[in-house]
Amino acid sequence: MWAEKLRIRKNNVIADLYPLTKLWIAALYALCVLILGTMKIDGYPVYMMAAFLVVPILALLSGIFKKFLNVYKGIFTLCLFILVVQALLIKSEEIVWGFKLFGNFTINVYKGGLQKGLDLSFNIMNIASILAWFFQTTENKELVYALEKKGMSPKASYVFLSTLQMIKVLQHNSRVIMNAQQARGVETEGNLFVRARAFLPSMVPLIMGSIANTEERVLTLESKGFSVKCKKTHIFDVVPSGNERTAMIIAVTITILVVVWRVLAWVL
Amino acid sequence: MAEKKKYSIKTDFSLLALLLIPIAVAVNFVGGQVAVLLKIPLYLDTIGTIMVGMLCGPWVGGLAGLITNLVLGIAEPTFIPFAIVNVVVGVVTGLCARWDGFSVWWKWIISMVLMSLASIISAAPIVVLLYGGITASGTSLITATLMATGMNIWRAVISTELVFTISDRIISYIITYLIIRVIPDRTLIKFSIGENYIKKRKADEEAAA
Repeated sequence: MWAEKLRIRKNNVIADLYPLTKLWIAALYALCVLILGTMKIDGYPVYMMAAFLVVPILALLSGIFKKFLNVYKGIFTLCLFILVVQALLIKSEEIVWGFKLFGNFTINVYKGGLQKGLDLSFNIMNIASILAWFFQTTENKELVYALEKKGMSPKASYVFLSTLQMIKVLQHNSRVIMNAQQARGVETEGNLFVRARAFLPSMVPLIMGSIANTEERVLTLESKGFSVKCKKTHIFDVVPSGNERTAMIIAVTITILVVVWRVLAWVL
Repeated sequence: MAEKKKYSIKTDFSLLALLLIPIAVAVNFVGGQVAVLLKIPLYLDTIGTIMVGMLCGPWVGGLAGLITNLVLGIAEPTFIPFAIVNVVVGVVTGLCARWDGFSVWWKWIISMVLMSLASIISAAPIVVLLYGGITASGTSLITATLMATGMNIWRAVISTELVFTISDRIISYIITYLIIRVIPDRTLIKFSIGENYIKKRKADEEAAA
């Protein structure tokens, strides 16, 4: 091969793992969480709640804690909201806490609702955060190319990667178009009807322009042999870092231990 | 009337259709953002999926929907389960388009009702079973209020969805149709279902003349 291949190198051992290995780890973690969720003490999924600490620690060890925290904040807020709504609004016989606000008006935290809320919110938090960890440690390019090596069509990877690019392009274009339309006198402020009417002149030129560009891109790609059936070369490469075996052995061992624990708890 | 056109997955996924998918995803994305920017109380984030479904049929439409939520999921993983809803939107719109469901007004209404029902039926179980009725969108406040009045969670979610999803889908359909009407014939003919809209336009012009 005459061209030197490019490769993204990461300093961190965990973040540098092969994308598919990380995907497996994420899947095994999700499985563990679901299994732990079935073990309850007094109706509360205590073990699963404890497991939520695993992902932030993993993110810290992977050296992406800051990026991770940005995504995590959103997940956390949603889960908190779910928990509050469930605990206060799903009524059941037993009441865990009751606050007297004024007069006869009380806010009750119901036991059934609290259990269900904890179940839902910690499940979401666990699974969403492991996905966040995966996407923050993995470049999209790496993931797509690793999947391509596993037999995914190069067309699919092109569509996925160009989607990510296209979002940025269209975001920029839409800002330009909205400014231009405002300059021409399209009102973007006022009552709902006025604002809703501004939607069309913002979107139509954007979409029309993009479709016109698509036709040209088809010609460009065809002229470069995009549809030719042959082995494709890549300027970019993704290779295992060498620690994949160890990582997989650790992940599988933990999963087996969790399964064994669950089965023992059942039998005994 | 010519003989019935045959559709195949292979011709559906032409290179032009494949390149339309990234545009559709970006339009979904930007549409939602512009709606927020203009403070319109609707999501308007399925316009791209609907457009691809109308032009290229159910399979390409469904794929566009799937990719939309996967890409959204990179930044916010809680969006990923809703990929099912977006796929349903694409597939149902595509099937309606193949049936030529956007040619006469009564077919329009049937298509819109079918599509809104399909979205609600696919969305409600995800919202209730996975998220306990609460999602990241602002409509959850209404759902929570309804639940606070003692309403059953399923009824609360479905009634909120009914109001918002149906109005959202109707407006998205109208916007998408307005867009398709201004796409020139020479481009439309390259999409597998594009022909239908050219015929419709011809018929309109003849009726006007």
